[in-house]
Amino acid sequence: MKYLKTIGFNSNQPIGRGFNYPYDIAFSNDGRIFVLNRMGGLNPSGIRIQICTFDEDWLGEFSTGPGTGDDQFKVPVCMAFDNQDFLYVTDESLNEVKVFDNQGNFVKKWGTAIEGVGRLKGPAGIAHGDDWAVYVVEQYANRIHKLTRDGESVLSWGEEGTGEGQFDMPWGITLDSQGHVYVADWRNDRIQKFTSNGEFIAAFGKSGDGVGQFNRPSSVAVDGKGFIYVADWGNERVQVLTPDGSFHQMLHGEATLSKWAQEWLEVNQDELQARNNSDLLTKDLPAHLRTPFHAASQTEPVFWGPVSVKLDSQDRLYVTEHSRHRIQIYEQSRSLSTQDIL
Amino acid sequence: MMSSDERNLIAHLARRAGFGATSNELDRYQDIGYEALVEEFLNPVDSQHIPDDLIFRRHVDLHAMQGHNAAYWAYRLISTQAPLEEKIALLWHGVFATGENKLNNLGSLTNQIGTFRTHGLGRFDILLTELSKDPAMAIWLDNHTNHKNSINENYGREILELFSMGVGNYSEDDVKECSRAFTGWTVKNGEYMAMMAQKDSIWPYGRIFWHHEFRSDDHDGSHKSFLGESGPLGGDDMVKIICRQTATAQFVSRHLYNFFVADEVPVPQWGDTPARDSAAIQALADAYVKSGHDIRSVLRVLFNSDFFKEAQFDKVKSPVEMVVGTLRKTGEYSVPDGGDKGIFDVMEEAGFMGQKLLDPPSVEGWHTGVEWITSGFLVDRVNFASEHIGNISNPGVKVMTLRVKSDSDKSSDPGDLVDACLNVLGPLDVSDDARTLLIEIATAGLESASSKSDESDSDADQLILDLFKIIVSSREYQLC
Repeated sequence: MKYLKTIGFNSNQPIGRGFNYPYDIAFSNDGRIFVLNRMGGLNPSGIRIQICTFDEDWLGEFSTGPGTGDDQFKVPVCMAFDNQDFLYVTDESLNEVKVFDNQGNFVKKWGTAIEGVGRLKGPAGIAHGDDWAVYVVEQYANRIHKLTRDGESVLSWGEEGTGEGQFDMPWGITLDSQGHVYVADWRNDRIQKFTSNGEFIAAFGKSGDGVGQFNRPSSVAVDGKGFIYVADWGNERVQVLTPDGSFHQMLHGEATLSKWAQEWLEVNQDELQARNNSDLLTKDLPAHLRTPFHAASQTEPVFWGPVSVKLDSQDRLYVTEHSRHRIQIYEQSRSLSTQDIL
Repeated sequence: MMSSDERNLIAHLARRAGFGATSNELDRYQDIGYEALVEEFLNPVDSQHIPDDLIFRRHVDLHAMQGHNAAYWAYRLISTQAPLEEKIALLWHGVFATGENKLNNLGSLTNQIGTFRTHGLGRFDILLTELSKDPAMAIWLDNHTNHKNSINENYGREILELFSMGVGNYSEDDVKECSRAFTGWTVKNGEYMAMMAQKDSIWPYGRIFWHHEFRSDDHDGSHKSFLGESGPLGGDDMVKIICRQTATAQFVSRHLYNFFVADEVPVPQWGDTPARDSAAIQALADAYVKSGHDIRSVLRVLFNSDFFKEAQFDKVKSPVEMVVGTLRKTGEYSVPDGGDKGIFDVMEEAGFMGQKLLDPPSVEGWHTGVEWITSGFLVDRVNFASEHIGNISNPGVKVMTLRVKSDSDKSSDPGDLVDACLNVLGPLDVSDDARTLLIEIATAGLESASSKSDESDSDADQLILDLFKIIVSSREYQLC
């Protein structure tokens, strides 16, 4: 992958352009980027979904929260469009999945009274099959739930544990072109791969900070050729794996100024001048700060809180960083194929 | 079987070296024994606090630390099994008082607290060196503007006046020489970072935390004379010289006494007001010298001394001690919840009581002792404790009510019930008036229950909760 550009910018306002702890993104059929702002703390009023474009045109927002209204969220986590261009968003506190059309209008919600199941338990990652199926990660139940688009339970699998098909607070989920399901098994520090019916296929990674090792992976994406992209959240990096799960490439982030950031600095010349006289790519941290978290918090261009990885229709990789309030975009440096790594 | 005096003594240690103990913790501490417990506190192995990954997953804002609230530290305070690590950090936070209101960089200040946690029980010279490199301190006291050809005396003065020796033990020339020695001790990208701090700027991409940078080209390495020693002294040399001074031994010892033993007058009055117990201060100062400035060794002497053991309930709890101690009893917030901002609210409450953690009022820190108690603050403290201890849906409160029922063994004697409640919340020894009131309430409650044919658990729980609320409203609960 090759770095392409950065979009986004921090906002201190609960509405309007600029991100507040972006947590996930999704692409509508026409290529617009929907950005989920999670917020938190004493002032969660910036919870909302914003819409912008690859070129950083800001188009608007909806579901301004927090709240328990039909179109509001309390602690939103992940979202994904289905093939009918409806957006499904999870909320781990309300235990609901809320559905919107591609203009941000509320359509329906489900999750608190599923027949035969009861309520979802901390819905986190969400992904769609090519057909009718919706896959929801229930982080508190340590299971994956396959449902219809109306929230009717079809099947579920998983339990707490470290074995095959077991989970420890799973988070992100995605499907590949063949319908296989990949789950970011967060506290087990691995990615698990299943059939669409929950049969275990493989697991990739183990705890650690070496190549092919993970520290609390939060999100996973798979491109058209089967390459696997993992948000290695606790290690503040993204790893690219080959289709068989072998390590392929490490991304640490190399953000540049977004269009919105440039516009802000242009009208704050004192900060721009001071910034231009600074070296923000720190490489000489004191020993006690040489951890991924500290390095990321002290070094602006690198990933800090890379919570979500998503691929657009051109297989460009979007890495959403909640603590830098931006999205770094990578493009394929050349056409990857499994032949590349053989 | 251990006597109640021994249990009281261990509870005293737990309040001073930590934030108090639950009955179950006291049971374990009793099995360990006093002197061994002192060593356990002094040599923590595994704090078992709520791990960062769980906190950050639920509270993304605590990962970025863009707010102005000490909730992240609070999670550690309420959950640690190594309470002296946090208590010593709290002490140094009050001594080397650095305020978020100027920094607008909670992450860097949190890192400073981490330094206190790491080095706070170790050698004072190492702690003071790390403090001198600390970027939050550098911005707080403007050492990033202390240049080779234009010194800023702010840090050079305060390290002597407020951090180590106290007024009257050094000259103005010493201040200047000390300041020269710390030229070049700055923050990476200092100008930009200070500007962002001053403007509370989060743009374009959130906070950038800070780290120390030594700039040799901006350091005055020339000859200096300082406290009777001379040479091409640098910052490290200054710290070593400072830590060798008798005045430093006395100053540090008085701080430790004030924090752990009994309330002293505020630091600015130390030059004119003799120590409350000069013999105790001297014993601690001797330990400081003998151990090579090792705080752990000084505290070992302190916790095992008679003057410490005899100082039960001689101190007013600070707001943070009161809030954290209460929450450790109630068991709240042990599982982070992104939908619950209560952990932020309780730290704001401590602020309303006069101690906003990470935001001391000035470089002097907080004035302690009876100054914590104003009529307004006292109402806040009582309301807070009563609200949290009086809520049986809190897991720790449920455990306490069960313990009271077990300890009072369904006795019909109101005195037994009151004693069981006082034990589970302390043990506490309240005034005669307070005890009389508690007995009256217990008597009325038990008589009411006996007149009913269907006394329920909720009735019994409510009586215990009523007694809890009275007890935590007492003068004694505000002391430690």
